[in-house]
Amino acid sequence: MVRSKLPDTPHHANSVTLTWIGVLSGARRLAPLSFFVFPFGVGFGVAAIEQELTGPQAIVMSAVVFSGAAQFAALDFWPHPTNLISVALVIFAINGRHVISGAALAPWLNQLPLHKRWLALGLLSDPNFTDSHRTFQAGEKDVGILLGGGLVLWLNWILGTAIGTYAGTTAGSLRSFGFDVVMVCFFATVMTERLKHRSAIAPAVFATGVSVMTLGWLPAGWNIIAAAIVGGVAGAVRGQ
Amino acid sequence: MDNDLTPWLAVMVIAFVTFCSRIAGPVLMSRIAASDRIERFLDAMAVSVVAALVASIIAQAGWREAAAVAICAVVMLRCQSAIWSIMAGIWLAAAWSSINV
Repeated sequence: MVRSKLPDTPHHANSVTLTWIGVLSGARRLAPLSFFVFPFGVGFGVAAIEQELTGPQAIVMSAVVFSGAAQFAALDFWPHPTNLISVALVIFAINGRHVISGAALAPWLNQLPLHKRWLALGLLSDPNFTDSHRTFQAGEKDVGILLGGGLVLWLNWILGTAIGTYAGTTAGSLRSFGFDVVMVCFFATVMTERLKHRSAIAPAVFATGVSVMTLGWLPAGWNIIAAAIVGGVAGAVRGQ
Repeated sequence: MDNDLTPWLAVMVIAFVTFCSRIAGPVLMSRIAASDRIERFLDAMAVSVVAALVASIIAQAGWREAAAVAICAVVMLRCQSAIWSIMAGIWLAAAWSSINV
């Protein structure tokens, strides 16, 4: 994955760098946590087979996308993901959080040249964002921490997906084992976490209403986009 | 009918859009000042997508899936573990299927 040459220079007191030492340190910091990414990868692999993706498609998707929420959401479009504009809009909406976490890292990342900035951001996800942001705030200057944390999560995600697709193709009826609900249950856990913040309640209520009411008459996926916009506006106008 | 390349094309579109979302934050921040309202909009939009997905999946599926989601949320609130709550949801769906064949 990381083919570009990273300089192995020592840290300078005031400048942000991206080094192999940082990558290794980030990978070590998130190695214990990445163990828990593995079962989600298995869940995604199983769900992907259920939605009629092939094994290679599911594994490549995990490798090039590396976003649980986006990938599970994308499965909603299978087995016929023909409307690529709806796919793109839904994926963009669900990845809105990346824009926020990337913006929060901007004070450090924007001191790097563009290609290193993009390399460091390539595997941005919630755990390595949280870990590296906290570390940067404490004075760390090596952005390799963000990339290294991402790498170890990424490897477990791909490995889990591969095993999940294998289990999915050999286990017979997924429905009788209850594996068909992995996707919706994954979303339910994310939802439960987010609803602890009161600010999430109004957008979630609006989004639920809009998505169910427009389900019958909007083309596939567009009820989600309509709900995302209405919910987003509900959140933006709050407290005025 | 869609051809064999359609799923691969969709995978590439998803990867491209996801990558764009990852680099968008720093790109925006180098051009505009962060606004509270934009941040609230993006945050609320991400929550809304998840809520909308759960709602429309349940609306299309039925009581079995609704019950799985309910037990999943309860376990999540009780023990804060996404893995255990998803396991609970799977278990309930499997039990439901075995009773109502």
